[in-house]
Amino acid sequence: MSITRRAFMKGGAMAVVGTAAIPSFLTRAAWGAVAPGASNKRLVVIFQRGAADGLNIVVPHAEHAYYAMRPSINIPRQQVIDLNGFFGLHPSLSSFKPLWNQDHLAIVHAAGSPDTTRSHFDAQDYMESGTPGVKATTDGWLNRTVQSQPYPVDSPFRAVALGTSLPRILSGKAAAVAVSNVNGFGVSGGNPAAAPLGNTFEAMYAQSVDTVLHSTATETFEAVKMLKSADPRHYTPAPGANYPKGRFGDALQQTAQLIKSNLGVQIAFTDIGGWDHHVNEGAVEGQLSNVLREFSQSIASFWTDLGALAEDTVVVTMSEFGRTARENGNRGTDHGHANVMFILGGPVRGGRVYGRWPGLEPSQLNEGRDLALTTDFRRVLGEAVSRHLGNDHLNSVFPGFDNSPREFLRYLG
Amino acid sequence: MNLGATSPTSRHKLQRAGCLVLTLLLAASLYAAKKSKVSDAATEQKRALHALDRLAFGPRPGDVQFVTAMGVDKWIEQQLHPDKIDDSAMQSRLAGYRTLQMSSREMLLDFPPNPVLKAVQEGKLPMPRDPYRRAVYVAGLDRMEQKQEQKQNAAEATPANAQPNGIATPVAMQRQQDRRDAHGVVDDLIALRADQRMQRILALPVAQQRDLTQGLPFEKRQALLSGLTAEQCETVLALNNPAGVINNEVQSAKLLRAVYSDRQLEEVLTDFWFNHFNVFIGKGADHYLVTAYERDVIRLHVLGKFQDLLIATAKSPAMLFYLDNWQSEGPDSDAAHGVPEHPHAQAARMNGPFGPRRWPPGYPPPQQKPNAQNKQQKRSSGLNENYARELMELHTLGVNGGYSQQDVTQVARVFTGWTIEEPRQGGGFTFKQRLHEPGKKTVLGRTIKEGGENEGVQVLEMLARSPATARFISTELSQRFVSDTPPQSLVDAMAKTYLKSDGDLREVLRTMFHSPEFWAPEAYRARVKTPFEFVVSSLRATQADITDPQPLLATLNKMGMLLYGSQPPTGYSTKSDVWVNSAALLDRMNFGLALSTNHLPGTSFDLSQLTKGTATSDNDPYKVQLELEQTLLAGNVSQQTHQTIEERIAAPQAIAQFADPNRPTNVNVIAGLLLGSPEFQRK
Repeated sequence: MSITRRAFMKGGAMAVVGTAAIPSFLTRAAWGAVAPGASNKRLVVIFQRGAADGLNIVVPHAEHAYYAMRPSINIPRQQVIDLNGFFGLHPSLSSFKPLWNQDHLAIVHAAGSPDTTRSHFDAQDYMESGTPGVKATTDGWLNRTVQSQPYPVDSPFRAVALGTSLPRILSGKAAAVAVSNVNGFGVSGGNPAAAPLGNTFEAMYAQSVDTVLHSTATETFEAVKMLKSADPRHYTPAPGANYPKGRFGDALQQTAQLIKSNLGVQIAFTDIGGWDHHVNEGAVEGQLSNVLREFSQSIASFWTDLGALAEDTVVVTMSEFGRTARENGNRGTDHGHANVMFILGGPVRGGRVYGRWPGLEPSQLNEGRDLALTTDFRRVLGEAVSRHLGNDHLNSVFPGFDNSPREFLRYLG
Repeated sequence: MNLGATSPTSRHKLQRAGCLVLTLLLAASLYAAKKSKVSDAATEQKRALHALDRLAFGPRPGDVQFVTAMGVDKWIEQQLHPDKIDDSAMQSRLAGYRTLQMSSREMLLDFPPNPVLKAVQEGKLPMPRDPYRRAVYVAGLDRMEQKQEQKQNAAEATPANAQPNGIATPVAMQRQQDRRDAHGVVDDLIALRADQRMQRILALPVAQQRDLTQGLPFEKRQALLSGLTAEQCETVLALNNPAGVINNEVQSAKLLRAVYSDRQLEEVLTDFWFNHFNVFIGKGADHYLVTAYERDVIRLHVLGKFQDLLIATAKSPAMLFYLDNWQSEGPDSDAAHGVPEHPHAQAARMNGPFGPRRWPPGYPPPQQKPNAQNKQQKRSSGLNENYARELMELHTLGVNGGYSQQDVTQVARVFTGWTIEEPRQGGGFTFKQRLHEPGKKTVLGRTIKEGGENEGVQVLEMLARSPATARFISTELSQRFVSDTPPQSLVDAMAKTYLKSDGDLREVLRTMFHSPEFWAPEAYRARVKTPFEFVVSSLRATQADITDPQPLLATLNKMGMLLYGSQPPTGYSTKSDVWVNSAALLDRMNFGLALSTNHLPGTSFDLSQLTKGTATSDNDPYKVQLELEQTLLAGNVSQQTHQTIEERIAAPQAIAQFADPNRPTNVNVIAGLLLGSPEFQRK
């Protein structure tokens, strides 16, 4: 059994102190030097699973080829929410427009993973491991982000995934918690009557010599207690934050809850499915439109809900690959290549579309069928990790990729 | 003891001293023999427990004694020959699940997905005459038409008249009303005799039939179905969700077998090999293919030759569909060159086995473009490398098995034409020359002569015989059966057996089970249980009685291990670090408490059975604790855990609870604490 770094550290501290109650300064000391001023910066990563159709999300409405290749599923020019005379938002993204106008929302088009796979499995895996083409990578890039940077706050919520299990992107040596429901997080769903049972379990695990279980349990009960004191049951989103019903809206609302409860969240992750429209994708209305509405309204509500805390928050969205430039015979699209990424945040220089536009003429398409890739997704994420979180170990976070700051898109001020 | 005590001579003295030494030696050796007999018994018990943790899903009460009495080695040998183990008791638990015996085609017709319904709608298939089946079809058609209507409405809605979020549309309100009406009928139905109840259900308006079991509370659902025959139950559930009936039955059966089957090794191996050759039940047609895949492809070969298992998976519709090989087309094939094909075959290829190609699952009504020009447009099809890649990476050689991207492309060409016969009718494997890439191929440095279907068989045989495959399979097996990081010496020994026996999986297992590494002290309790292993071992240890596995399946889903629900081809990991996280740990503690205090609907737990009634009748929590530590953890309880629970029992507020004669089940909590303890998480 491999002993994880955290198990070693926390187990090591245990061996010295010999009691369940590790003074927090000890664990903090174990993390080493504190990066000044880095503690209140947050990165929220959202994965659109299933390959979202970037060309119908941020529409190149000045491209004649776009309309020629998508006779039945294009977004008519007069219905696009124009951004800069060339690109425009799908009408279901209307809640993004104010964020764009306020220069908080930036767009990177023709971005994604350089790997040529068209398999959802592989492409998601590569985007989460952060090493396209290399399957042997065991941890995710968000976990390596945590691993490679000391953190001044000793919080189990530093890296958190909203969901039942820890996703690939957050798995690895560094501690990260998976929370399926902040309101039921605890023994017997956090029911106060069960508190003695929770204490019994806690004591049992605190004294256990089983290092793997011991350290996870320590984090778990710390998290449970912190969350309990934050009293999530009595949480009301800020006025104007009207999260749509559904898993994604719930997840973002809970993310906001954790951030606003001052639990030391630095990295949060959640995902939204339902983008794989091979058949009847729809245009202004339809399948894509519905999921876009849920997607954008949830994110806009999250932004509103964060209030002043949004100033220190950067949200990045990604999807494993884009879809074919041409519509197929079933009024849908097949697996493609490059895609669009949204970046939202206080420090973001928004109101712009970043990246080089490769064009949609047949000769400009990847393999003659998809939007070509001009920006590596690691370039976009690297800038957020480095310039926003202040983590300069990009070689550890994205090994094998030359992430020189000179190449950054400079979407951060 | 003194043999010559009366002799006065020195010789006698010497003799006497010698005798004394002898006597002492004899006594010492007798003592040692007795002690080693005791420790032999202890060792054998420990071995029995270890064997039950690894070859089975953990011990039930009495199992350790049973295996010890039989002899551990003899029990292992018996488990390696499951056909010789009577399993009729477990079989009777599965009797209600009719789909387990059905072919994919039978399932398709009994529990019709949209393409089948569509065929009926268009008059291409007759409406069934059997009243049960007919009711399912009528409800399905109604559901499909309603969806079509909704889609139509959504398409017509403009942003201006679209309903803002959170406000129920008139349609949604009507749906809620219908559901309330349907649930209102349930109480009347429950009051009826089973045969009358079924008659009444069949006579209900179709909207009510469809909503009858939708969101119905568990107890009412139980009452509604009680007394009905298996076919009637399936019909009532299929009125709402036909695919759900199939899923629920195959998932329930997996859980019940793991808990109750006496052929435990076969269950462990079926789980292992399904996971090795993973397919995802949520990917479109695989809904209808998983049952037969596990039954006819996996289970049948788990103790046979690896090559036979490999070929069977390669030809299974479930795998062909899951890894997309069924639609792979050679770039130079007749199909790619547009050589016309039979119209029927064309229709089949344009669509998925049971519907249009789509991912994730679902069956949207197929919609053909009206204008003829688009019909000419060639679909973007072509070579699909998905299966070729996973075949080498996950099924045989392993990721470092020495193959290149070039090999992947070549293997993909080899397997073009391996597809599904009559895909829309639940057909089996077929080879279509028309899709096959002509010419010779080079795989791993070896030339594969042009030979149609046989090329693929050659490649599979070559992969199955590769030393890299022998090592990879041995590593995977020992990770499951020994530890996350198995000793290299064990992997080598197993790989040697694999190559010598031409991939005989029973022989490879035998090598493992008789290796010193398998029984080494560091192998004991080396693995953290996966959620499935945890839930099943809890149910076995507590001798729980499962009458409806559905809530247990939901628990596993919540724990991140939905049965047959691993979407990526890697299957579920068995490694500790994947399953040890905060949400998971809390889920385990909560499951232990829910199970022991009988808060899991459909599963009942009787503490008195575990403690032979004595301790509970005394209502002495300390005695219960001691007994449960033996039954649930075979005495493998740490001082810390023991003391913590003892302190819990002694806590002032707890004493009153335990002493409460009206709540004798309070002591059940002790079982829950032990199931949630660190010790029970390991095996």
